[in-house]
Amino acid sequence: MAYQLYRNTTLGNSLQESLDELIQSQQITPQLAFQVLLQFDKAINSALVQRVRNRVNFRGSLNTYRFCDNVWTFVLNDAEFREVTELIKVDKVNIVACDGINTGSNTTE
Amino acid sequence: MACVNPVPKLYRSVIEDVIEGVRDLFAEEGIEEQVLKDLKQLWETKVLQSKATEDFFRNSIHSPLFTLQLPNSLHQTLQSSTASLVIPAGRPLPSFTTAELSTSNSSASFTFPGYPIHVPAGVTLQTASGHLYKVNVPIMVTQTSGRASILHPIQQVFQQLGQPSVIQSSVPQLNPRSLHATAEKPKRIETVLQQPTILHSGTVDRKHLENATSDILAPPGNEHEIMSEALLSQPESSQYIRLPGVVFPPQVSQTHVHGEPVLGVAGSMTQNLNGGPLSTGRQGAQHQHMSDIQLRVLKNRMFGCGSVKQPRNTEEPSSLPVSEKDSNSQMDLSIQVMDDDINEIIQIDGTGDTSSNDEIGSTRDVEENEFLGIIDAGDLKVLEEEADSISNEDSTANSSDNEDPQIDVVEEDPLNSGDDVSEQDVPDLFDTDNVIVCQYDKGAPQDPSLTEGPIQLRTSAKQMTNHSPSR
Repeated sequence: MAYQLYRNTTLGNSLQESLDELIQSQQITPQLAFQVLLQFDKAINSALVQRVRNRVNFRGSLNTYRFCDNVWTFVLNDAEFREVTELIKVDKVNIVACDGINTGSNTTE
Repeated sequence: MACVNPVPKLYRSVIEDVIEGVRDLFAEEGIEEQVLKDLKQLWETKVLQSKATEDFFRNSIHSPLFTLQLPNSLHQTLQSSTASLVIPAGRPLPSFTTAELSTSNSSASFTFPGYPIHVPAGVTLQTASGHLYKVNVPIMVTQTSGRASILHPIQQVFQQLGQPSVIQSSVPQLNPRSLHATAEKPKRIETVLQQPTILHSGTVDRKHLENATSDILAPPGNEHEIMSEALLSQPESSQYIRLPGVVFPPQVSQTHVHGEPVLGVAGSMTQNLNGGPLSTGRQGAQHQHMSDIQLRVLKNRMFGCGSVKQPRNTEEPSSLPVSEKDSNSQMDLSIQVMDDDINEIIQIDGTGDTSSNDEIGSTRDVEENEFLGIIDAGDLKVLEEEADSISNEDSTANSSDNEDPQIDVVEEDPLNSGDDVSEQDVPDLFDTDNVIVCQYDKGAPQDPSLTEGPIQLRTSAKQMTNHSPSR
């Protein structure tokens, strides 16, 4: 089972919201919605591995760091994300990182 | 390759993969293909609206925010223009150049990027998310801030009605469920703009819509003033209901006043294209606005009542002056409430924290304002004490507070609580919209250009992607 990590992204959240709307209107069952999300997990994980080649460098001031259950959580202040084409600056960014081992046993966000 | 933004394509491909992947699942469950299409449409709409990708669909699919579906009997075409777009009922219009005519059910679907648009009554509107709304009164759709809004010319309607209809004090009680805006059902035709129609017809019956509970009881002949609460939290235009392409019917809610009937009407939002978060936000605004209206009503009716919540004014100063400004032009709606209903409305937030009672008290005020509106000073005190006693019970399981609610509870911080500084940071620390979710790889070859560290992050989240090392 792939990481459910990416459900808290724009793509993932919009999917969840859409599924919630369909559940509310009783067009689908919650179980089906759960299956859809599982499919999403697989799709996004494989897409990121196979179809993405970009590289982004970032630098910031580390406010907090946390390593718990093999999940790193960082809070960066005044971070800069630098890609070849653009530079993005943010005051605060929260980074959640799961272990990149491909077993997928730790399905945590 | 570097100059092409890979994000829209990536999102498109993920959406396609997921939809294809669940197609069989849907078929197994016996769910129609249309539902799958709805899911895809909803999903794409939300991603588009989130502005996560600027040109998400610009180059691929022309996805309109607003689709007009005309009744079968009307052969109407729309004239595209940068100025206002008028749809006269029952008359043929020049064809819309970029319209998408769908021959199914003999209905025409059009998309109009040109705003504002006048829509006559009897037209069914369908938003991009698939929700149907039937227009009972003429409305005007404008586009503001890049989003479609529906203006509700309540002023016009009220002028047509002549004498403002009012509500008698013997109006039957409203169901407190009307306070809550429930989710909508797609493909279900709802009557919108309920208030003008009811006022116009003078009916007293309540129509419970599953999605929009806009019950307004207005038998004519009452001397009370009716205040139409078509206002939402938008202060800039009090006469309009602003929605991202969705109509918000006004909603009536109950308030509790000890010993004296007080009524309030609040515009509420039942559905929007953005789904959950936005509706939640709007719901909060709706309740706040409700209390604003009730504040005004109370001012007119209850003299010397100290129950008008001043904190509410500070929280929404912009909307209150607006509503006061419109008081002359609008009618005040009064609804009788009962004590039983307030017990249902009260939502005591058992936070279970040991924060000081002052904080709880002020929070109580805010929450109660949102749901109760005007409360008599005496009742409020009792409610606060009850709430405090309940919250204390939840948090500490200490019955001493319950036994003596009258005594002001002295702040009792835990011993050496001043030493704990991290607690102040934690709640707000992680509260940010900028979240990156990714995976890390231990022991990967380090890139000298990166900062030193044993763990090298490969970010692969929204808006930013990175190269994942081979595993």
